[in-house]
Amino acid sequence: MRGTVFYIGQRLILIAVTTVLVSSIVFLLLHQIPGNAFLNETRASPASIAAALKHYGLDKPLPEQYVRWLNGVVHGNLGESLVNRGVMITPLLIRETSVSATVGFFALFVTIGLGLLLGVLAALRQNTWVDYVASSTAVIGYSIPSFVIAIFGLLVFGHYFYVWTQGTVFYNPGWGDWTQIPVPAIALGLPYAAYVARITRASMLETIRTDYVRTAWAKGLRAQVVVLRHALRNALIPVVTILGPLITGIVTGSVVIENIFGIPGLGKEFVTSILARDYNIVIGVFTFYAALVGLANLTVDVIYPALDPRIRY
Amino acid sequence: MAQAAPVAQPELELATYEVPEQVTLLTDAARRLRRNRLALAGAVIIAVLFVVALISMIWTPYPTWLQAVGPTYQGPSPQHPLGLDQAGRDILSRIMGGALITVQVGVGSALIVSMIGIPLGLIAGFYRGKVDTAISFVINIWYGIPDLLVALILVFVLSDALHLIPRGVFVIIVAYSLTRWMDVARLVRGQALALRERDFVEAARMAGARDFAMLFRHILPNALGPIIVQATFAIPAAVLFEAFLSFLGLGLPPPTPSWGAMAADGYHGMDFAPHIVLAPTIALSITLMAFNWLGDGLRDAFDPRMKR
Repeated sequence: MRGTVFYIGQRLILIAVTTVLVSSIVFLLLHQIPGNAFLNETRASPASIAAALKHYGLDKPLPEQYVRWLNGVVHGNLGESLVNRGVMITPLLIRETSVSATVGFFALFVTIGLGLLLGVLAALRQNTWVDYVASSTAVIGYSIPSFVIAIFGLLVFGHYFYVWTQGTVFYNPGWGDWTQIPVPAIALGLPYAAYVARITRASMLETIRTDYVRTAWAKGLRAQVVVLRHALRNALIPVVTILGPLITGIVTGSVVIENIFGIPGLGKEFVTSILARDYNIVIGVFTFYAALVGLANLTVDVIYPALDPRIRY
Repeated sequence: MAQAAPVAQPELELATYEVPEQVTLLTDAARRLRRNRLALAGAVIIAVLFVVALISMIWTPYPTWLQAVGPTYQGPSPQHPLGLDQAGRDILSRIMGGALITVQVGVGSALIVSMIGIPLGLIAGFYRGKVDTAISFVINIWYGIPDLLVALILVFVLSDALHLIPRGVFVIIVAYSLTRWMDVARLVRGQALALRERDFVEAARMAGARDFAMLFRHILPNALGPIIVQATFAIPAAVLFEAFLSFLGLGLPPPTPSWGAMAADGYHGMDFAPHIVLAPTIALSITLMAFNWLGDGLRDAFDPRMKR
């Protein structure tokens, strides 16, 4: 227990270091851009540009700006939007993170739920039609990018089934209605569900041939107990190891999904800010993403020993 | 003498045993690959993709950029088998042009990723020590961040902001490679770590081989199988990255017939002209599928545990 706490502390420090490091790279990259953020403002006078630069501290030399930014990050202050003056970035991004996290959580639910279901069914009914259907779905689904699934989802639910869905899925103004969640979440989670299904099938096939599963059957345990408690629990271990890359994939995928469906989350902010040249927000989104992915990976690593007691910290 | 009979005996017995034949890694892998129908299907689709890409370099039914060759949003017709897009451009021609871009991005990225990852992985695995610690640190840090989004920013900074590389296929390849060499490096490092302890490397060392010769003549060829597999999987990943960027409007500039950009063009008029968005997305999905199938087939073919 003490080891676990120590381990988590160590990892949290590493996450903080990684986050600062990655967003520093982005900070330095974006500050290499010649000119300044206000050159495109056609009606601005030199005096007002100078005032704007002074307001954002952009008139100082780069090292000083960096130290100032770093100081802000450490205190949880990511600065102010360059385009919409007065909008502080940290509260904005926290609000958007909750939206992104909701969709991402449901996507993860789709990925793991559907992936495990297909994988287990395919393994238990190996070489029957169930297996063939599940396996070919997996091998095809894995290759279809999430934005393609999103487009098809939009076409089917927003257009062909318009009468049935009454447009509620997409045409509700604003965000916050639960009917808006399923289609984006499925589009985001489906490619990875196929991947999870493949891995689950392979590891289930290995596990159901082991001696302890045979013993469980021989003891006359019920099928659910054997499959869920003896076989699946051990078959889950390889699945958990890919959860880290999977979360990174869902984060990356959410950028395009949020733009297709107009979801006001971090991904939409990211693209909007790049196109609007709002560098402060771009750097801020990056800081959030690095921290989020780090924390998600840590969560995975902490639940890992619960599944596999051989692993300890 | 009476030795004729005993000589015949082992010959008979030998015929019943399977005589191990001389096979190299590549012929052995090729043989197993040929038996994998899914991988073969993938290889055929990839061959078609390459042929279409080559043809599009010299001929497409219409120029990929030419607008108003017919009514905008027109559906499939005999003159335009895949229809026309929102600017009246021939979609078949643009799909063909997109194949060329896909091939360039995929193959280019796989090559550059290997060119960065292989030497770094070899050095880290072979010399160990501080070099290894440094390279492994970078690799481990990088695994915890959304690297494609760093690549996205790199494309933006390198082309739009610094004007170092004009916005095009090359900047996408560079950005992808700079952020994704870690997969190859990690793999090669592991292979080098294992191979450097093997007897044939020891023998080469005793024969007076220099480090360079040992790395590239003895260790690298023996790690080639997994590297080829990894490079094959890098191709669909890079293709997807390009489509992802172009779909968001951050990739290749407008007249370029990138499949991702075509999908983005089409999706605004999806409710009355779905053919515009269907053609590029289906082409993209089939391409990714083919590379994944071939990659899976190659992995099974090179994996020694699958040996007959």
